[in-house]
This record gives sequence, C-alpha cells and structure tokens, in this order.
Amino acid sequence: MKLQVTQENLNKALSSVARIANTRGTLPILANVVLRTVGTRLTIAATNLDIAITHYIGSKVSEEGSITVPARLMQDFVGSLPSGVIELKLDDYKLHITTDQYNSVINGVSAEEFPVMPAITEGKNWTIPVKVFKKGLQQVLVAASNDEARPVLTGLYIHTSGGKLYIASTDSYRLAEKEIMPLEEDINILVPASSMQELLRVIGDQDTDIEIIHDDQQVLFKVGEVELMTRLIDGNYPDYKKLIPSTFAVTATLKRADFVNITKVSSLFAKESAGSVTIHADPEAKSVSIRSVASQLGENTAQADADITAEGSITLNSRYLLDALGTLNSDMVMLCFNGKLEPCVLKEAKSTDYIHVIMPLKS
Amino acid sequence: MKDSLWKSVLGEIELTVSRASFITWFKNTELLTNKDGLLVVGVPTVFVKNQLERKFNDLIIDTLKKNGVEPTKVDYKIHTKGKSTLHKRSSEETVMVVAPQQTDTKPKSSSSVRHSYRQGLNEKYTFDNFIVGSGNELAYAACQAIASAPGTRYNPLFLYGGVGIGKTHLIQAVGNAILSNDPKAHVVYISSEQFVQEFLDAIRYKKNTDFAGFYRSADVLIVDDMQFIAGKEKTQEEFFHTFNALHQANKQIIISSDKPPKDIPTLEERLRSRFNWGMSIDMQIPDFETRCAIVQTKSTTHGITLEPSVVEYLATHVQTNIRELEGALNQLLAFCEMRGLQPELQIATSLLGSSKVRPKHINAKQIVEKTAKHYHVSMEDIMGPKRDKDIVVPRQIAMYILRSELHLSFPKIARELGRKDHTTAIHSVEKIAKESTLDADLRTAISEIKDRLYA
Repeated sequence: MKLQVTQENLNKALSSVARIANTRGTLPILANVVLRTVGTRLTIAATNLDIAITHYIGSKVSEEGSITVPARLMQDFVGSLPSGVIELKLDDYKLHITTDQYNSVINGVSAEEFPVMPAITEGKNWTIPVKVFKKGLQQVLVAASNDEARPVLTGLYIHTSGGKLYIASTDSYRLAEKEIMPLEEDINILVPASSMQELLRVIGDQDTDIEIIHDDQQVLFKVGEVELMTRLIDGNYPDYKKLIPSTFAVTATLKRADFVNITKVSSLFAKESAGSVTIHADPEAKSVSIRSVASQLGENTAQADADITAEGSITLNSRYLLDALGTLNSDMVMLCFNGKLEPCVLKEAKSTDYIHVIMPLKS
Repeated sequence: MKDSLWKSVLGEIELTVSRASFITWFKNTELLTNKDGLLVVGVPTVFVKNQLERKFNDLIIDTLKKNGVEPTKVDYKIHTKGKSTLHKRSSEETVMVVAPQQTDTKPKSSSSVRHSYRQGLNEKYTFDNFIVGSGNELAYAACQAIASAPGTRYNPLFLYGGVGIGKTHLIQAVGNAILSNDPKAHVVYISSEQFVQEFLDAIRYKKNTDFAGFYRSADVLIVDDMQFIAGKEKTQEEFFHTFNALHQANKQIIISSDKPPKDIPTLEERLRSRFNWGMSIDMQIPDFETRCAIVQTKSTTHGITLEPSVVEYLATHVQTNIRELEGALNQLLAFCEMRGLQPELQIATSLLGSSKVRPKHINAKQIVEKTAKHYHVSMEDIMGPKRDKDIVVPRQIAMYILRSELHLSFPKIARELGRKDHTTAIHSVEKIAKESTLDADLRTAISEIKDRLYA
C-alpha cells in the first residue's frame, strides 16, 4: 500500500471513526482502525461489533493494500501533524507515515485479522434530508431507555404509518414521537438509540441527504463520505399510539422559558422525593404553579402566567419534565392532562408534529 | 442431543482459539437444526455470522467431524435467544406504567414469599453493637444516613478495607435497620460468590428470569465481598444489568470489597465506573482506643468485666483484625471459665504469648528515616548532637519504635541513633511509653509512622 492524502482529510476521517474503536473490549483488534484502498480512495473503518463506521477519503493511490493500526495512536499522531500532504506506505505490516518534517513507523496488524465488515446485499433504500432527520433524533433520543432488560425499549422506532414517517421512543415512563415527513415506502425498523447518538456525532451539520438502506438485521446510513452500519433490534415495538390521549380535561399554555425556570427551581426541593413535583393549573389566577416539598429542607412553590382551560393538578418527575421541555423548540408550549393517574402531554403550541408524553407519579 | 453435540464442539473449539476470540465469536451460538448433514447454527449478530462463515467455517466442520457428524453444509443464521419469550413479555406488559413515587414504595408480594428477602442477614449485627472509631466513622455515618432514607443518598455505597475490620457488620446493620424501620422492605443480602453460584444455577435450570426478577425487585441490595465477581464475565454482565435496573429505580445498593474498585483486576470497566458513582469509603484499621472499646463491649456481652491492663494487652496484641481480636478474647475467656480463674494480665500473656514477633521486612534505618521524615527533621540532626526540643522528641520516638517494633536491646538502639550511652535509650523509651498513654497526638503520630512502615 502506498498513497498520499491530506492531513485535513485523514484527521477528519479518523476523528469520526476512531471513537468507536474500543480498547477495553475482549478482542484486542477492535482497538484498531482499518485502512484500505478502494480504487482511488482510502477507507478508514472501525467497529465495536454493534456499530461499524466507514469513512471514505480522496487520495492518490499508487499501490493498493490494507492494514490495521491502533486507533488512538493513529488519531493522536495525525491530529498533531501540520496540515499538508501525508504519505502512507506499507512495508511488511509497518505503516510508514511521512511528511516534510515527520517520519514515523506504526506497527500494524494484518487487515485479515479484522472482523469482516457486514454489507447489505439487498434491502429497502430511501433518503431523508440530514437536517430534518437530525432534529427528529434530537427530540426523541431523550426518551429512549437504557435498560437492557427490555431491549426493545433501548431502540428508536422508525416507521411509517398513513404515508408519514415517524420516529418514536419510550422508556415506559415517558414517550416521544416525532412526525418526520411524508414517505411512500413502508418502513418498520428498530434502531439502537446508542447508535443514533453516534450517528448524530458523525453527521455534523451537513446540508445533504442521508441515504438509508436496511434489511431485516441491519441498517446502513450513508451521509457524504461517511457510512454508519448498525444492527437492528429484534422484537415488536409496543403499540404506543393508543397511549397518547387525544382529548384533555386541562390544557395550560405558557412560555417555555417560564416553565423551565419554575421547574428547575422546584426540582431543587424535590431531590428527596425522586424529583416529584406537583403542578397545579388555576384558571382563576391564570397561572400554573409548581410545588415541591422536602421534609428536611423545606418547600417551594413557584408560579408562571398561563392560559388555562380548567382547574386540575398532576404530579410529575421534574427531571422528565425538564427533559421534555428541552426537546420543545417553540416559545409557547402546552401542558395537557386528564386525571391524576393518566398520561400527560407536552407539545409545542403551534405545531402538531412532535408530542412528548409523561406518566405521572402517584402522589 | 443437539445441545450436547454443540456443547462438545464448543468445548473443543475453546481450546484451539484464543479466549478473546472464543468469547467474542462463539459465545451465545447454538445449534438450531441438524438434518441429513445440513446444520444450521444460530448466531447473535451479523458480525459473528460473517466471522464464522469466513474464518472459522473449516474449524467448525473439522470439529463436527471429530464428534462423529459428517456435515455436508453448515449454515449460519441470525437468531436471538429467547426471542419468543421477549415477544410475549412486551405484549403482556402494559407499555407505560404510572411510576410509583419513590417515597411510598411498598412491596406487594405476599408474606409467604417475603421471608426469603431476609435470608443472609444476621440479626446480631446492628448499629448499636458497632463500635465507632476514627477509622470507620465516615463509613458508619454514611450507613446510618442510608438506613434512615435508603436510595436517596450515597447510592451506590462502596465500602472497602482489609479483612476483619467490620465491613460485613456495618452493611448487615444497614439491612437490619432498614428492615426494622419497614418490615416489608425487600432487603437482599448476598456475597458475590453466592450471586455467582445462583447465577450458574439459574443458567443450568433455565430460570434466568426468576433470578433476574428476584434481584431486580429488591429495595435494598447488599453485596458482600464484591472482589470475588472479578473475572466472571457473564455474572458481571448480569450484575451490571441488575445494578442499572435498581439504580435507575432509586433502589439502594451497598457493596463491600477488600480493595477499591480500581484495584480489583479483571473487573469490567463499566462496573468499575458505576461502583465509583455514589460514594466509596475506605475503612481503616481501628485505632488503639477503638480496639480497647471493642474488647470491653464484647467482654461485657459475656458478662465479664476485664481489668484495664488486660484490655490494653489484648488491644496491643492484635492490631489489624477485629475477628482475631475477638478470637483472642474468646480464647482467654473460655480458658478462664473452664479453670474457674479471673482473667488477669498474667494469664492473658501466658495464654496468647508475647506479642514480640519481629517483622522481617523492616530494619532500624527505615524506622529512623520514617520518623525523621514524619517530623520534617533531617537524618543528620536526628543522629547528631543537637538537643533542641523539636529534634529530641522525634529521636525519642524513633527509639521507642525501635524498641516496640524490632525489640532491639537498649545499647543497640543507642548505637542506631549515634548515641554512646544506652541509658539515654532506656529513658527515651520509658518516657514515650508513658506519655503515649496520656497524649493522644503523640499516639496518633506513632501510629502514623507505623502505618507508613507497614504500608
């Protein structure tokens, strides 16, 4: 293998790939990245056996070949090189990296030792703008569970229904659903939330489309030069739609900033009771008040102006409430609920494409 | 038949490939069908499928042949274990549940099941009979805080310290206190060794869900001697999930170990970082007064009041391990009871022998050096002729430690510190011995120097 690349390209590729190379796993080779020439391009890839990321960079290839080298060392080394052209040359499992000023050799391991990267031979194929998908992911990721005891809930449910694409997640105490866009394809996949965190990191702020290809076991996301492959979670996602209430006894509309502030303050007094705060909507006073009690410390009541349809109160976990408010993007937000033990809904005042459901605490 | 065939194939493969490869690629595989030489192997992920197909296919076929099967073809199929049960569960369970508020969590199980939660807790370990000293007051305070409000603070609590300094007593006391506050609480006390054993049984009898369910329904999980889980990967994984489930539900977790998490080899990183999440407390060897108090309390429970000299003798005789201290006391009391004697110093010394065991790895020079360093005086000064007070005291202490730890003769002690006259040494040792019984600071200084010597 012999080729020339620019430091900028190599560094960018390594920083998106090297993070998933795992030094602590059981298989030592997974701490390496694979460098492989494909035609006139160089691919850099790593995997932790759940996700595989491959980054393509343009290069001047004069001799083909492949090698794996320790990810961390390679990333740190290339990151500290000055910008300009780097020559990579392979000589019997030794990777020579040469620039004007530096000349180093990294001992590699044959790429044959590296697990075979999975490929999707046939499957469904559709595209979605990066920006739209990214916004959707950011809004629903917070509600996904990380409890491996119920693997299905550790995934994001990406699916179509009635000609529209939705992403949904729930950890059984809260639920988020985002309507992404109209889509004709029939999609129904369950993608690990942790992989989507990684995808968010890798795609950055590109103004292009993501190409999504999937079969029964895995899904591939292609964005520009980056490809991220992840396994799909096997299982049936619960029928969450029936949990979202459609009519509400109480609806409060208030400023998001106000709501965040009073919730934050109340949460200080709710640490003892696992974050439990009681929200009271008062149509007479045109205000929403939040009350929290800590038997040792004291108590707090905070209120904010709001438009209210009827009187009512509900007890929620303040952390879930803050998480939910963090995913809403509008200035005015709506809090809607029925009884004390029925799900409560948070949404943006003027749009209907995003909905966040929180189960109340028994008070 | 299928199972035993695949087990023996795996057993043989385990010997030929590296441990890391075996764990990564062969664990969680199973033989799905074996029909007319066409075998289908179930694998957990596509990575494993690729790897087995391209790298290990020949090895698998060879090993199958050795086991008397002539495969025409081996296929690999992605297959999740326990898939069918998973589906059933998700449809049976309601998707979203009203979260019980943490403060009014009440276990719902019937009383017939409940007694098992008490298992492992010994009622004799309570806070009342735990003796607090400087080495364990932090741990004691943390445990009391937990007992009054489990799950809210210091979660998880990780106690570590040497053998026989009261870790088990303290964590059992937490369990007992929580149970006496709320008799319905699910307090589970196990040693990690027991956890491993139960996990193995659960696998063997395919009762995994019972196992996981039992531990995950606990309000308080107390795990003793965590270090024994090291190196047992599957168990660590199971424990990891149990830990997460409980921690997320704000259930109290208490762990004890003989080493801090970072010093337990082959403990998985994710467990290690979780153990450091709440509070880790180092339990120290109890100091002299605490040991005296322990001897007194224990002898009182036997209905005997010991002479102060006997108490002190016992406390100096056994310095590092409370269990041994109790043993020595019991030995003395039993001896006296059988012969109808009063426990006196003389009997104690003759029975337990003199405590003069000379440690091998410590020499006189180290003692002088460590003492000088402790008081920030130079070796020249301490060996030299100066008689300023801040040099004389360390010099005397050095002599005292030489005598008490190495049992050197007085002339030898004098020589070690560059003195000619052994009467100086006699005077110094007597002076410090006397003062150390009165002066707590001096005693602390001496024990700190000794700690450094033995560290």
